Order: sequence, then C-alpha cells, then structure tokens
Amino acid sequence: MTGAPLLEVEELNTWFFGRQGIAKAVNGVSFTLNEGEILGVAGESGSGKSVTGLSMLGLIDPPGRVVSGRVLYRGQDLLGMPAEQLRRLRGNRISMIFQDPMMTLNPVLRIDTQMIEALSAHRSLSRGEGRRAALDALDRVGIPAPEQRLSNYPHQLSGGMRQRVAIAIALLNRPDIVIADEPTTALDVTIQAQILHEMRNLCRDSGAALLWITHDLAVLAGLADRIAVMYAGRIVETGPVDAILRRPLHPYTTGLIESLPRRGQRGRRLTQIPGMAPSLSEIPPGCPFMPRCSRAIEHCRSEIGISTPEPNRTLRCINPVC
Amino acid sequence: MHQPRLLIAMQPLLEVTDVSKQFRRETDIATRVVAAITGAQKTEVVHAVEKVSLTVDRGEVLGLVGESGCGKSTLGRIMAGLLAPSSGRVRFEGVDLHSGSRSRPSVDLKIQMIFQDPFASLNPRMRIGDIVGEAALVHGLVDRADHSDFVDRMLIRVGLDPNCKRRYPHQFSGGQRQRIGIARALAVEPRLLICDEAVSALDVSIRAQVLNLFSELRESLGLTYVFISHDLSVVEHISDRVAVMYLGRIVELARAEAFFQQPNHPYARALLEEVPRLESRRARYHPIVGEIPSPIAPPAGCHFHPRCPNAGPRCRVEAPVLREIAPARWSACHLNDG
Repeated sequence: MTGAPLLEVEELNTWFFGRQGIAKAVNGVSFTLNEGEILGVAGESGSGKSVTGLSMLGLIDPPGRVVSGRVLYRGQDLLGMPAEQLRRLRGNRISMIFQDPMMTLNPVLRIDTQMIEALSAHRSLSRGEGRRAALDALDRVGIPAPEQRLSNYPHQLSGGMRQRVAIAIALLNRPDIVIADEPTTALDVTIQAQILHEMRNLCRDSGAALLWITHDLAVLAGLADRIAVMYAGRIVETGPVDAILRRPLHPYTTGLIESLPRRGQRGRRLTQIPGMAPSLSEIPPGCPFMPRCSRAIEHCRSEIGISTPEPNRTLRCINPVC
Repeated sequence: MHQPRLLIAMQPLLEVTDVSKQFRRETDIATRVVAAITGAQKTEVVHAVEKVSLTVDRGEVLGLVGESGCGKSTLGRIMAGLLAPSSGRVRFEGVDLHSGSRSRPSVDLKIQMIFQDPFASLNPRMRIGDIVGEAALVHGLVDRADHSDFVDRMLIRVGLDPNCKRRYPHQFSGGQRQRIGIARALAVEPRLLICDEAVSALDVSIRAQVLNLFSELRESLGLTYVFISHDLSVVEHISDRVAVMYLGRIVELARAEAFFQQPNHPYARALLEEVPRLESRRARYHPIVGEIPSPIAPPAGCHFHPRCPNAGPRCRVEAPVLREIAPARWSACHLNDG
C-alpha cells in the first residue's frame, strides 16, 4: 500500500432521534478503503451497515443525523462539504448501487434518457456521444441487445436487467468509489453469480474501489479483499478476507460463521448465537455483544477500545477467540 | 375405507400425480371487444406447474428448490390443498385433497403451511395467544377450560415465553414471529408441514435458531416436511431428498447426499456451482448465461436448452421425461441417453 488511503472514515456517528429515544445506528465507525480495493461490510439487520453507506454520501434524512466524524475522500471531508460540491462528487467520483434498482431508476423515463442525464450532469457532451457512452456501459455489464434496451422503460426489464442498468449508471462516469448496498440480495442465484462475476471484473478493469454491504458472508468469500464485520452500530472486526473467515477473532464473527450451514454436515445441529441483537436505542454500556457472548468476562462491561492483534487486522474485543 | 395396517405403512404420506397448474390472465372487457372484432384469440397462459409427480414419505424432509418463477410455491400451495390443480391429483394418506367428496377439516388440519414473511402472515390486530390457539378451539381439539394452558404449551414448545401471549405481533422480532407462525401451525397437530421460504427473511444467527427448532420438532413430533427454498445451503442442511424445479417442471429428484455430491441435470449442476459458499473462496465464477425465460412462453423441448452448455438438436424439440437413471435418482435430461 502506498500513500494515503483513497477514503478514510473516522469515528462516524449517525444517530436517529425518535420519540422513544436516540437510536445510535452508527456508533463510532472507522475504516479505510484503498484504491482498487473491494471491502465487504458484513452485518445483520440493524447493525448499521446501510446507514454507514448512506452517511458517507450525505444521504441521511431527519430524524437521522450524522452527529460527528469525518469521511475523508482524497483528503477532503465529505461531511463538511457544501451541498453543491458534494453533488458534483456524487454519481461522478463516488456512486452508489441500492438493493432495489428502482431506487436508482425513474419509472417514467426511458433508459437512455436516464443514462444520458447521469452523464451530462457531470460533463458536457452531445446526445450522440451520450448515447454511445450509455451503449458502451450497458454492453460492459453484460446486457444482451443493449441498443434495444436503451429505448425501454424500466418496467419492461427483468429484476436482474434493472440491477444491471443501475450498475451501468453507477459506473458511467468511471468513479473512484462504488458503494453497493446489498445489490444482489433480491436476485436469483444464477443472476447473482453473473453480477458478482461482472462486478469484480469491472472493478479490476476500471480500478474503482468497491464498498460491498451485505448480510451474506458467503458472497464476500468470493468477492472481497477485506471484510469489516458490524454489530449494533460498531465495527467489531476488520481484516483480510481469508484471515476473517478462517481465523475469526471476535466471538460474534465466529458465531456468524458457525451458524451457516456447511457442506458435508447435513442434518447436524447448527451452532446458534443465543438471544437477539439489542435495540439500537438501548445498547448496553461496554461491549454490545456481551449479553449474547459465551466468552464474556467482567471487563466487557467497560468501554472496549480498538486493538491491532495482527498487522492489517483490527478488533474490538478484550477476550478474543484465539 | 379400511386398509390393512401394512399397506398404510408403505403408502407415501403425500402423493402428487401428474399435477399441472395454469394461470390465465383475466381479460378486461375492452380486450374482449377487440378480440371479438379482430378475431384474435390471445389469452396469456402461465404454465406454473407442468405434469409434476412426486411422493413425500412419512418422516422425511423433501427439499424443493428452484429460482423465482419456477413454480415451487404454486406446487407447495397445491400440496397443502390451498390451491386446486388444473389437472392431476394430490392424495394425502390415500385421500384426494381436491375432490369435493371428502370430509375436509380432518385432512386439511393434517397439512399446515409456514410462510416466508412473518410480518404478513400474522393478523396484526390479534393477540398472539389468540393467533396460536384459535384454530384448535374452533376445531374442538381443545376445550375452553384448558385453552390457556394449551396455548402456553404451544408457545413453550417453539421457545417463546408464555407470559407474552397477550402481546400483538408488532411487538416481536422477525425470528420470534416466525416461531409464532410455527406454533400456530403445530397447534392443530399436523402430520405434514409445508415451509415456503420459511427462513429466507431471517438474519443468519436467527435462521440457525429456527432451523434447529425445525429439526427438534421433527424428532419430537415425528413431523414430515416439504421445505421450499431458493437457498441450496439451507436445503442441503435439512433435507433427506431434493427436487429441483425449472420453469414448472421437476428436472431432478434424488437423495440429498448423492445430489449434492454430484448433481446430474445441467441446470442443477450450474445452480450448485453458483451458490456462494464460505469454502469456495475466490472461486472463479463461470455463470450460466442468460435469464430465466418467461413462463408465458417457455422454450420448446427442454426448457433449459437455451442456457444449457451441452444442448443438442434433440433438446430443442423434445421435452425430456423425468426417469430413474440410477436407484432413487431421477433426472430429466436427454444427455443421460448417451
């Protein structure tokens, strides 16, 4: 790794101020993303993984608010940036793909209109040039007969095709960073495999860094370079994909991996994590995983800092697994 | 109907014979007027299930897998007696589920269904004690005096605190709601549970809890399951036998160990290769190309031929039949003919 990372998130806090109290959806999250790297963010529902992605691009609506922290992109803090300047980066240098492609696509506009709009928002070009670029982008994400697709409306496409169009739009301006929030979760296995395959190649070819948010560790096994595991608004562990999956240190990561059904262990009782995730407005002091943790000790009740057990790994646990 | 005991023991619990289901799009009056004037006869027919035959044996778990639109949920509903097939028969312990003559409740209660979405399948305005206990009360399986204890027992059985039976569904998490759904199904003492994507909406750690619960209940109550899912790793974990569906047809039916070691049908092989797994780290994907065709106009011959890497001329014209290629192993592929 040379020089500063492409993106640095420091002590990010995004809280939601509701009637029942403050839900700390993202609670002191820090991580880095290097050029061309694929970082997987794994966590269950309510762990704060999606809110982390949305916070980075200033997409949090009231009652939610980014309370503190910094998101440094090439040294500039995205959070303190004037709205106009941030708009010039969004969809251009940093783009986002959502689980539901209809979050990206406008149902009443043709695909070509939407794609050319995404291009001309960030640079001036003629309609012909725009169409050519759009055609090129659709071709790259593996859409058959892209010429015809350009004049379709979103409802005329299948779910897999729509997600491909959303990905093509995200990659149109050759961004440095793509934030993908569960983009293959709603898709069938065969279509998911196609998209994962294409996504990895596209990032390799264009040198874009990818932040892939998912609940599915198995997807990350074949895709990511590094993994960050989130629980109750915090990153509990980060490290290279092989290290995390083969030698997880945090008891929560271990629990997650062991609760997955495995090949060749048919019918065996699955190891389960007892209990359930705490409500984000009533996170216990100290380690939030403590009530469910089999390795909990008295010290877990106090605030746990981030340690570096090995080079390239971080951990938020005082009684790790190995 | 008195059958010798031995015959009953050998008879499969559920027998599906040549079941097909077509859905027709309702035509509005304007379309019918246009059709009458122009003489065009164009009703769109979806062939959701096509000539499916299979059996479910007592005490086994049959996994039914396939991607969206393959007809697995429709088949599940037909097996549960919730939907009448367009043709074919479903028999539960020898009784035809869809003939008008049988006495309905006795058989209907024996087959219960558990649904995917624990948020949509529970009435939000009923207390969970009532949700769980209502059917047993209505059908006279429990009298009013014992009802409260009965509900407590049902809730304890699925790992819920009986003290919360006066609460409403919205006060529970997804995993707990799925347990409520299971308790409701078990309250009428079913023999067969049809689980349609019953763990798909749950988080990984909660999913493990619910899957373990299914296994425990199978042991303690001697239940039989049809487990419908798109998630092959879950199906591999829980099933004794597996049926794979593609565009309304069963393409492979085999014992789970044999199937997951070496699937026979090219679609089943592709499906199995493409399941992301922890062990297949950095796997190089060779995804099968193309999309699942529309069930309104499925391809001729073998439905899978446009995406099949090994398709020959015969596959384009002749639909392969599901036949036994090895003991207890059925596959519908022309390639097995050499």
